[in-house]
Amino acid sequence: MGLISGVVMGMVFGIALMAGWQHMMRYRSKKRIAKAVDIKLLSSLDRDDLKKICGENYPEWISFPVFEQVKWLNKQLAKLWPFVADAAEAVIKESVEPLLEDYRPTGITSLKFSKLSLGTVAPKIEGIRVQSLKKGQITMDIDLRWGGDPNIILGVEAALVASIPIQLKNLQVFTVIRAIFQLTDEIPCISAVVVALLAEPKPRIDYTLKAIGGSLTAIPGLSDMIDDTVNSIVTDMLQWPHRIVVPVGGTPVDLSELELKPQGKLTVTVVKANDLKNKEFIGKSDPYTVVYVRPLFKVKTKTIDNNLNPEWNQTFPLIVEDKETQSLIIEVFDKDVGQDEKLGVAKVRLIELEAERSKELELRLLPSHDMLKIKDKKDRGTITIQLFYHEFNKEEQLIALEEEKQILEARKKLKESGVLGSTVDALDGAASAVGSGINAGVGLVGSGVGAGVGLVSTGFGAVGSGLSKAGKFMGRTITGQSSNHRKSGSSTPVNSSVQENGGAKPL
Amino acid sequence: MGFLSTLLSLCGFGVGVSSGLVVGYFLFIYFQPTDVKDPVIRPLVEHDSESLQKLLPEIPLWVKNPDYDRVDWLNKFLEYVWPYLDKAICKTAKNTAKPIIAEQTAKYNIESVEFETLTLGSLPPTLQGMKVYLTDEKELIMEPSIKWAANPNITVVVKAYGLKATVQVVDFQVFAAPRITLKPLVPSFPCFAKIFVSLMEKPHVDFGLKLLGADLMSIPGLYRFVQDIIKDQVASMYLWPKTHEVQILDPTKAMQRPVGILHVKVLRAVKLRKKDLLGASDPYVKLKLTESKLPSKKTTVKHKNLNPEWNQEFTMVIKDLESQVLELSVYDWEQIGKHDKMGMNVVPMKELTPDEPKVLTLTLLKSMDPNDVSNDKERGQIMVELTYKPFKEDDLPKDFQESGTVLKAPEGTPPGGGVLVVIVHEAQDVEGKHHTNPYARIIFRGEERKTKHIKKNRDPRWEEEFLFMLDEPPVNDRLHAEVLSTSSRIGLLHPKESLGYVDISLSDVVSNKRINEKFHLIDSKNGRIQIELEWREAS
Repeated sequence: MGLISGVVMGMVFGIALMAGWQHMMRYRSKKRIAKAVDIKLLSSLDRDDLKKICGENYPEWISFPVFEQVKWLNKQLAKLWPFVADAAEAVIKESVEPLLEDYRPTGITSLKFSKLSLGTVAPKIEGIRVQSLKKGQITMDIDLRWGGDPNIILGVEAALVASIPIQLKNLQVFTVIRAIFQLTDEIPCISAVVVALLAEPKPRIDYTLKAIGGSLTAIPGLSDMIDDTVNSIVTDMLQWPHRIVVPVGGTPVDLSELELKPQGKLTVTVVKANDLKNKEFIGKSDPYTVVYVRPLFKVKTKTIDNNLNPEWNQTFPLIVEDKETQSLIIEVFDKDVGQDEKLGVAKVRLIELEAERSKELELRLLPSHDMLKIKDKKDRGTITIQLFYHEFNKEEQLIALEEEKQILEARKKLKESGVLGSTVDALDGAASAVGSGINAGVGLVGSGVGAGVGLVSTGFGAVGSGLSKAGKFMGRTITGQSSNHRKSGSSTPVNSSVQENGGAKPL
Repeated sequence: MGFLSTLLSLCGFGVGVSSGLVVGYFLFIYFQPTDVKDPVIRPLVEHDSESLQKLLPEIPLWVKNPDYDRVDWLNKFLEYVWPYLDKAICKTAKNTAKPIIAEQTAKYNIESVEFETLTLGSLPPTLQGMKVYLTDEKELIMEPSIKWAANPNITVVVKAYGLKATVQVVDFQVFAAPRITLKPLVPSFPCFAKIFVSLMEKPHVDFGLKLLGADLMSIPGLYRFVQDIIKDQVASMYLWPKTHEVQILDPTKAMQRPVGILHVKVLRAVKLRKKDLLGASDPYVKLKLTESKLPSKKTTVKHKNLNPEWNQEFTMVIKDLESQVLELSVYDWEQIGKHDKMGMNVVPMKELTPDEPKVLTLTLLKSMDPNDVSNDKERGQIMVELTYKPFKEDDLPKDFQESGTVLKAPEGTPPGGGVLVVIVHEAQDVEGKHHTNPYARIIFRGEERKTKHIKKNRDPRWEEEFLFMLDEPPVNDRLHAEVLSTSSRIGLLHPKESLGYVDISLSDVVSNKRINEKFHLIDSKNGRIQIELEWREAS
């Protein structure tokens, strides 16, 4: 009896103990999971959530901007800046000097930093935004503002002129840097970083140029040449969709996915223009049109004399690298003896196009691409174009990539040999072949302009400084014009013209 | 009878308990699924006030405290990286564990130990705020608040003697408040030499440990015991002021401290090539060390001499023996115009043996480019004697050691006395009425020292060090520090103006040995000057 009751009691006790343990397990496990959930939930709060939690006592100091503020990072950066500035000097010198060499206009024989210090003011990060636009990639946008006091002295050597030190002052950079991290399963989990400047809002780089112990006017067009070099580097190297790909970590990975490459072909037919403005005193304008997607590969139509309703009917193929962000730029110019005047511009965002379908558009011409500050409602006429977008398949893409490479290669060679040339013709070729491309206007600073400098016959090229279409090729005729430049204060005549012969027609 | 019955019932109880435990185990625990599910996360909007109440203790610090910054972008980043990071970590863990396991299994006669599952779960660590501290020292201090409530599933299967046992770790949670200090700051990337990590409070650790499906951590009392052990263990290693140190850069290199001195004796040159049209050249030698910011040194000019003898001695400071190179260039001096280069050559520092004079005869070249065709021309030779004297360990420059430690005064200081070190770091918001080209002047016992001038800058950095040798501690003395500006133009109008001054009592310095502070300037709107003062006593 005792034994049985003992066994039963024991059983009950044992089972109860186990049940209790199990209950405890469940309870603790639930508690832990609940905590994990809470923490996860609270890790990404937005305004409404916080309002709900805090109710009346909503903390005033909290806001939720799209670009999250990073005060702590700025504090650290300010503290670290003197050291970063010191360390960066050598790095910048090393990495930027070859770039300057590549992008320098033909008029300058050498462009180097003779002094570079980044100053005492640290850049400020206005905000950071992190998103994942594509699987396996993290996109980080950093809104950077730098109104620094760097001391940058460029040693500029131009043909036949001794080196002049040019100081770059009051540098201001406002830009949004986009960094894309390509993720991988291997430590450090990032296989490559893609860095670019977002095109929208447009990066702003302002500075003042000052010649030390001399005047900027000693070399005509110098300030514009520097402006242009900077501009070319920014728009053709850094600005999205152009990008710099930096592999990270030891594991070799296929980065070709990240590189910018031809995505499709845009066939543009410039049909005609109507009601163009007459810019000439005698007769009518002699219009021609320049179209491009990348300023590196510009094409132009023939010039039709004395016509305000010209019909061109010319077709060009253009390469598209990033349909989402790129645009087709159309610029109508009036061919002139002095300088070519802009009759109007138009822009077509490629994202609006459908693939494999022809589309005819009649576009109103505008005075400028940047309409923010221009209040001009004047009618400039219209231009009619036909567009056909063809998306490449893999093989076509490879072919296009190869072709592009060859063109750039050829241009580079031309540049190397061309720089030595002294005749206008040689320079013509050289200039249009500048690796960076961008062939909008350049011209020659004519004899009338820079006569005193003795550059005349060498064909000293000054580069036009139209916004992003800063050009780099040289016309055959000698032209002169004063264009709007930055605060550089020099009143150098500069040309901004596109000439028949110089246009590199890459495709 | 009664005794026997009690004994029997006791035996029965014993048997009953053990069998009951077994039955209970199979009944309640054994069949419990051991796979870990992702927890269901409801959006906050759906919560009612009761479940909200439960959330309150976990509210992130950045909501509660204005001095903590929100770092949602970092959290997002972590969230996106997490799946990849998880895989990478687990892979590395498996790979590192394998050889260790193999070694151990052989020792203890265990068949195999394997990870059945190994994942850290879908929940990434979260940063609930970031706080930074600004000090006057060369360091960055950050305090992130890290909460990691994970749902890992780590199952280890042990096979031995034909039996199989599983150990599973679930619901791992760590909450910690580390302090990360980056110091010292150095002028080469990544701009700091060491990372110091320490915990500001004991971390909270919680997890479930299932042995054969039964969670050991839910045995009352055991969990607390284990947690305490872990906390104490971690605390004894990392709780502030104990720190974990990670070296990133070699501070010697990073700080670019001098490692030795190079004595150069320029002896003579022979058979130099003529450069001047009329008469012989007027050669002189220019010496430059690469990667050095110091100005190059020049010998005297030997007029009209193509076989000049200089016999001049120079000393140069070497910072990096491996990479620095001495450049010797012979120039032709000209009264007017550019001095022509007659030739050059280089001596890499690593070719020198310490403390051993070496006489070198170098052929002069047009440039160091090996492909330069014009190098074939005869340009003559130059003879130099080079001696490299590395610093001995004990006469390494004094601020070589970490800041914060007060050093002994050098030998030769009178007993009872010492050295007062004044380091003028920087000033902020100094502004002159007419010009702001600030320099600092410090006056101590009538002795005046000046820093260099910095042009047009309201926040100048000088980083200059001055030494005053004293017979006794400056207990009753004051130091006068003033920021002045001189006009950059030569003119009689406002040639000099004061941008503010401050008198610092030195008794604090003597008692504290070292003070590094920003002082507000008198006669200045908002100007401050950062001065570091140190009293080094003679031993």
